[in-house]
Amino acid sequence: MNELSATLLPCALWTYLAGMVGAVLFQRAERLANGIGFGLGAVGGFCGILAFATALATGAAAVNQSFDLFPSLIPYVRFSIRADALGCFFGLMVSLLAVAISIYSLGYARGYYGHKNVGVLAAFFNLLLLATTLVFLADNAFFFLVVWEIMAFCGYALVSFEHEKEESRSAGVLFFIMSHLGTGCLILGFLLLFQASGSHGFDSFHALGDQMPEGRRNLVFLLFLFGFGIKAGMIPLHIWLPAAHPVAPSNVSAFMSGVLIKTGIYGITRVCFDFLGSPPNWWGVTVLALGTVSAVLGVLYALMEHDLKRLLAYHSIENIGIILMGLGASLMFLHSGHPVLASLALIAGLYHTLNHASFKALLFLGAGAVLHATHTRNMEELGGLAKRMRWTALFFLVGAVAISALPPLNGFVSEWLTYQSLLQGFGTTPSLIRLMFPLSGAMLALTGALAAACFVKAFGITFLAQPRSDHARHAHEASWPLLGGQAILTAACVFLGLFPTAFLKLLDPVTQQLTGRQLSAQLSAAGGLALSSGTAQGGMVSTPGITLMLLGLLPLPLVLWLVFARKARTRPGPTWDCGLRGLTPQMEYTATGFSKPLRMIFKALFRPRREVQREYDFSPYYARTIRFESHVEEMFQTRVYRPFNLAVLRLSRRLRALQAGSLQAYLIYIFITLLLLLLFAL
Amino acid sequence: MNGPTPAEISAQLITFCAAGMLVFQLLLIVQRMLLTNIRLFALQSFLLTSIAGIIAYFHNATHVYLVAALTLIGKVVFLPWLLDRQVRRIGISQEIEPLLNAPASMLLCGGLTLLSYIVARPFTALERLGNNTLGIAMSLVLTGFFLMFNRRKAITQVLALLTVENGVMLAAVALTTYGMPLVVELGIFFDVVVAVMVLGILVYRIRDSFASMDTSKLNQLKG
Repeated sequence: MNELSATLLPCALWTYLAGMVGAVLFQRAERLANGIGFGLGAVGGFCGILAFATALATGAAAVNQSFDLFPSLIPYVRFSIRADALGCFFGLMVSLLAVAISIYSLGYARGYYGHKNVGVLAAFFNLLLLATTLVFLADNAFFFLVVWEIMAFCGYALVSFEHEKEESRSAGVLFFIMSHLGTGCLILGFLLLFQASGSHGFDSFHALGDQMPEGRRNLVFLLFLFGFGIKAGMIPLHIWLPAAHPVAPSNVSAFMSGVLIKTGIYGITRVCFDFLGSPPNWWGVTVLALGTVSAVLGVLYALMEHDLKRLLAYHSIENIGIILMGLGASLMFLHSGHPVLASLALIAGLYHTLNHASFKALLFLGAGAVLHATHTRNMEELGGLAKRMRWTALFFLVGAVAISALPPLNGFVSEWLTYQSLLQGFGTTPSLIRLMFPLSGAMLALTGALAAACFVKAFGITFLAQPRSDHARHAHEASWPLLGGQAILTAACVFLGLFPTAFLKLLDPVTQQLTGRQLSAQLSAAGGLALSSGTAQGGMVSTPGITLMLLGLLPLPLVLWLVFARKARTRPGPTWDCGLRGLTPQMEYTATGFSKPLRMIFKALFRPRREVQREYDFSPYYARTIRFESHVEEMFQTRVYRPFNLAVLRLSRRLRALQAGSLQAYLIYIFITLLLLLLFAL
Repeated sequence: MNGPTPAEISAQLITFCAAGMLVFQLLLIVQRMLLTNIRLFALQSFLLTSIAGIIAYFHNATHVYLVAALTLIGKVVFLPWLLDRQVRRIGISQEIEPLLNAPASMLLCGGLTLLSYIVARPFTALERLGNNTLGIAMSLVLTGFFLMFNRRKAITQVLALLTVENGVMLAAVALTTYGMPLVVELGIFFDVVVAVMVLGILVYRIRDSFASMDTSKLNQLKG
């Protein structure tokens, strides 16, 4: 770690802290609290970007130093920080989002003036930034768990920030419960590691798995996969995610979806690649399979949503799945002894992590701007916003293109890398398990196509056509901080898409640390303008080239018109009305209607249920009122979690017999226990 | 003829006092009058004070005098006085219908005492002072517990808790020559005083709410 980043990093951390304290101190003056809290958040994020980017740019050897954040007062407990390559990479992601979201929040928080405490929002947000950054930098298990819990607590406080709504409260509680379930597993996992190494420093855990007994090591893996999987929102542990993300304030949803769930990815990477040594095959297979399931089911459930933010939340599950596919494939390659492919798959996964952070946060910020302007998240009440909110629509479109993995934006690059690693995986092993690779590749293709369909719906229904309600009709363009935050992330999406080879250099220290290879030179072809897959069999793609081609195609309609239709008679008229006058919003395609074909195809999964009630006087064709209801079943909710909840409730009802409420009975319980213990001692 | 050595005398005295404590405990179990109960407890505590005094005197452990003094002030004078005043103020003088009647309680406590002696036997070698003091201490704890759930009046339950505490103190004295470290003793002492005060207030509250101080009525609070 060089001089610059060594000074800037603590700077960033203390700035977040100052932002928190400042926002609390000035909570009476909400404008000041907003300015101080989110302003300092943005400054801290900026320092963080500089610190982490320079650390990564100077290379692997430079990125590994630890120091104590502050001297500890408790023996055996050190609050030590180590900015290694993996931590720096994730730190870079937090800092990028911290800048964009803090700037956005300066405008977004104005909507809370007068009825909510903005100071508290800003304070928790800064504390969340601080804790999340420290999660990626913590150098021992104890410190890690402390900041992990602070992060979960802030997440809970922010999800239920609008606590006057029942929905927010219950989502917050669900998040809290799931989060603690995960933390419990993490504590057990760390205890097992601690038992094996005799110290809780992360450096003593390095490659520790190779010295552990096989069963113990697998147990540790499963505990961590479960614990971090909950935070990542991996199916089937995802249920908190679609509940919590929509109800949180939009800036918080953006951060949660962008970074908070990535702490799970960080944890899985850290444990599988750093702590547990050379992985057995089934670890990679498990992660790959879970990733594939999450990706496909995530996007399918997203398609059924017409709540804009819930739709985005389900897409987070999908993208977590894609990231896990990269990580799982990487683990399998490590097992079969193909470090180059392992590095490629790891790069694909980590690159997608950053990409998802940028475009998903961008989309959530866009959804937040829409919510801010129209006060509704229901897509069926939106429409026509492209004319009223031009910039927001443009930014949202960029995000939608990126998340649909369309070239030339960043989602395409990382998914292309994932494909490359999966397709080449088929040749790495003779066993039947190699069928996993093309299979999950095909699933990834399906996911990409469905995601594109989903965003045609999300963008089309929300921004195009005519407004479907008065809310949408009276929407105004968002203020400049809201647009500024989105502009930063849009720029990030475009940059990461157009110049992947430049960025891949920053990933070199990370792969060096985790797999011992550096691939950026191999991956860059044609002087850095094209991206190759690094091996002879793989393909090559150039996003700048595709962009130029697309730009070249732009004048094509004009040319065609000049050649063929210059002489034809033209009559200007409104679009899409087919010559009939008077299109009304009632004639528009609805979000539910758009996804109907897919609902029918995947009937077995969704089990759609609809209810139509007509009231009529003499003929059903002349109904007075029609009430239409349609539901889609969330399989895991109804098949896994509900039976489990009911079983717990039944058991507790039975146990309640013990809870007689009589003091004597309690005393007798204690007495009998005491006696039994004494007899046992005999 | 040589007289007994001071160590022997002290051991004899301690054994005598400890046995006395057990006797008072058994009397407490069959006695129903609240005021008599309080006095029995005071006497038992006085015996504990004497044991502490004997240790301090024969073994030149001056800080144990402090323990003795605290026990004397707290358990022999202050707490009995406090409880006495409460009983008089509330005006209920008798415990009605305990869970087990007197003969059955007596039998059960005999069994418990026996059990404690058996359990304590492996440790007799570790005892520095007196014979079977640990056995007595444990039987005080067990019978104290029995007393606690056998009775329903909050006051008797407080008394029972205090006798359990006496047992713990006696065990500490028996196993370690000079009692527990002073800090621990002080801690326990203040704990007990505070607990009794809190319970005393609770007794009032129960009486206000239920017009009785029968703790078995607390189950009406259950949701």
